[in-house]
Amino acid sequence: MGFYLTLAINIAVFSIAVLGTFMLTGMNGLFSLGQAAFMGLGAYISAILVVNYHLPFALAVLISILTCAFLAFLVGSATLRIRQDFFALATFGFGQAVTAFMTEYVSVTGGAMGFSNIPNFTTPALAFISLAVAIFIVWSIRRSHYGRDSLAIRSNELAAKVEGINVLKHKVIIFIIAAAFAAYAGALMAFHTRYVEPNMYGWITSVTWIIIVYFGGRDSLTGTIIGAIILYLAPEILRFTTAWRILIYCVIILLIINIRPRGLFGTWELSFKPLLKLFRSKKQEVN
Amino acid sequence: MDSNVILQQIINGLSLGAIYALIAVGFAIIVNVLKFSNFAHGGVLGISAYAGYIVANQFNLTLIPVILVGMATGALVAVLVEFVAFRWIRLQKGQLVYFFVTSVTMLMLLEQILIIRFGAFFDTYPYDLIKVKTIKIGELTVSVTYLISLVATIIAFGVLIYVLKKTKIGIAIRAASNDMIATSLMGINTNMVIIAAFIVSGMLGGLSGVLYGISTSLAPQIGQVVVKGFIASLLGGLGSLTGVAVAAVVLGVLEVFLIATIGSGLSPVVIFLLMITFLLVRPQGFAGVSFADKA
Amino acid sequence: MDRPVVLSINNLTKMFGGLCAVNDFSGSLKENQIIGIIGPNGAGKTTILNTVSGVYPPTQGQIIFKGTDISKFQPHKINHMGIARTFQNIRLFQDMTVLETIMTAYSWRSPYSIFESMFSFPRVARYEKEIKEKSMHFLEKVNLVECAEVNAQSLPYGMQRRVEIARALASEPLVLLLDEPGAGLNQTEVHDLVELIKGLHKELGLSIILIDHRMDVIMNLCEWIYVQDFGKCIAQGTPEEIQKNPIVIKAYLGEEINNA
Repeated sequence: MGFYLTLAINIAVFSIAVLGTFMLTGMNGLFSLGQAAFMGLGAYISAILVVNYHLPFALAVLISILTCAFLAFLVGSATLRIRQDFFALATFGFGQAVTAFMTEYVSVTGGAMGFSNIPNFTTPALAFISLAVAIFIVWSIRRSHYGRDSLAIRSNELAAKVEGINVLKHKVIIFIIAAAFAAYAGALMAFHTRYVEPNMYGWITSVTWIIIVYFGGRDSLTGTIIGAIILYLAPEILRFTTAWRILIYCVIILLIINIRPRGLFGTWELSFKPLLKLFRSKKQEVN
Repeated sequence: MDSNVILQQIINGLSLGAIYALIAVGFAIIVNVLKFSNFAHGGVLGISAYAGYIVANQFNLTLIPVILVGMATGALVAVLVEFVAFRWIRLQKGQLVYFFVTSVTMLMLLEQILIIRFGAFFDTYPYDLIKVKTIKIGELTVSVTYLISLVATIIAFGVLIYVLKKTKIGIAIRAASNDMIATSLMGINTNMVIIAAFIVSGMLGGLSGVLYGISTSLAPQIGQVVVKGFIASLLGGLGSLTGVAVAAVVLGVLEVFLIATIGSGLSPVVIFLLMITFLLVRPQGFAGVSFADKA
Repeated sequence: MDRPVVLSINNLTKMFGGLCAVNDFSGSLKENQIIGIIGPNGAGKTTILNTVSGVYPPTQGQIIFKGTDISKFQPHKINHMGIARTFQNIRLFQDMTVLETIMTAYSWRSPYSIFESMFSFPRVARYEKEIKEKSMHFLEKVNLVECAEVNAQSLPYGMQRRVEIARALASEPLVLLLDEPGAGLNQTEVHDLVELIKGLHKELGLSIILIDHRMDVIMNLCEWIYVQDFGKCIAQGTPEEIQKNPIVIKAYLGEEINNA
């Protein structure tokens, strides 16, 4: 597969994970330092099921997503009741626990050395269509009352509660969906890079996704996608090592928060409305 | 385990707990004053630990100067963090979540600086920094490093309590923790108070960084031990520095026993589960106040 | 005056640590009645409202609504049962238009699941349209129709108040709790607010508990008034009785008025 195609698939899959964080942290203001752990679980579970137990790809991916969703339900129900920063800590602990788990059970997971020889089932079509569907899902949620409730909870939780919104239930649902996104992205990535190892899914990765969301603008879906592409590509093109790449992400986000906290794109969204209006008015002219 | 081993572990746990207490209190001071969790404290810790390491190796300084260098570095880095990451948001009355983003980012940034400068491998403080390695008390072999940690912690807390209770700036910090607006209405320059809080927090961070670096080994990820401080703050409860210190010591002892029994691999899992359970049962921590939203 | 009681507060006490914010308060709200709770700052008025709306549970006492003790219920559940409120410090949502703010009151009644909203099922758009119309209806009631698409937080304070009231009304409640609705408004705005509340009360048949310490608001609207001071209820009665009550006058002015 060509270099550019591989890169494009990387970006597409990466963006799916970032979209999960967009929903959780951007729309709902929930700061999870363990999101990447779900990506790791998605990757490991699907890879192990296919390689060791010879399950069909689709089934393995489905099982890994459902497992992560269930885990998210448990962890979320327990930790979303508490204060924001405690939630961040709890998710950090969760991420640590998952990484420790994956490293310990060498016999099943290959331990710190990682798990390899995963077949290449992630076709370009699968990656890009998945991304399109993921974007559609996030866009749909935003247009429904769940999108409005997210903004309400993020900006004034108490007011949201007295308006009848079951805040805890909403947060748990979003947490589960975000986890599912991360898990799916993990599975896709595993069957693309054909290799997984525990330290790819730590808190630094989770924070990187948060940085990307805030870089593009936590209120802009388009901004987040474009931000993901820019922040993924730029270090690749400029050939930065991992440490420098992360360092520069940090500097960028510090600049953004200080100078333009709304993010690069603010609340701007790519919209087809003006085009549609043009189309409709042309139609009226003809008639 | 026979009783000697248990006692040994308890002492190890206490000294680890002492360091955790230093970390936790340094962390908690900022939480109390600014009402958010300063993850960047881990970065302060890490940089200070390496600063101490550099002077110990390059200039062959003895223990106390090394500690002082660490504390000075800590204070410096902490104030820098305040300027770069928090000041602007604070002055613009930004939302709490922005503080999360910048403080976690600073933690990452400082860690990456260490990785770039020192590589991702382990390092140790010079072997003869502490002349005597162990001493014998009765049947027990106690590591001198651990003793030093305990003593240093006790001294540090003694000084801290004095500062907070008897000095003007200490009282101002406590006032600001209680009510920032009222404090500024009293004519106290809150910007100065906040800087002072960061200096105190930074010094504690520097001290704990150097001690931790000496007790264990040095790696760029050393800053992540701030999580223990965070857990202790959580368990000890908001608003109570004593509660936080006690919780940290308990955490240290617990961790030592966990590592001895189930190994360092799985202890994060157990600690996580314990923490979750504790939070569900008592979300305000041991000694903390219930955090109720003003309607 | 034989209207049924819709809400009754029995021996309500609320302590925050060592501080007793509300000390053994008892009161009742009859159907279609407007009652007031007045008192100097810190007297415990907002605390009473907060316990009724479920922000925190009382230390002691019961709150009976629709035959159930709702004192330990979650705020959203209390809202579902039919109680809505506004806040002393206006609590609007960031980056939402006025219309969207009102629409949040309808979220819990939505007939579609998260799954349907993930894939833009037609039911979603249909319900959104429906609640848009219903929300416009409440905007009409508070005279804010022109502002429907404006960012709610960019409005002047008086209009923000009306947005909050419309949002509470959209819950279609039986009981409305108004926490210092006149706070921050000038004379004209207060007068308009009083007229608005009067009109809504008549039109929608609401039962209202009103907190304020502005006499022009309370005396004009309330049929029965409870006077709080340092957590205790020191007097209750009709507006005329309260105005003449020496205990009340002393609490407010700190001295006895010898000449009636």
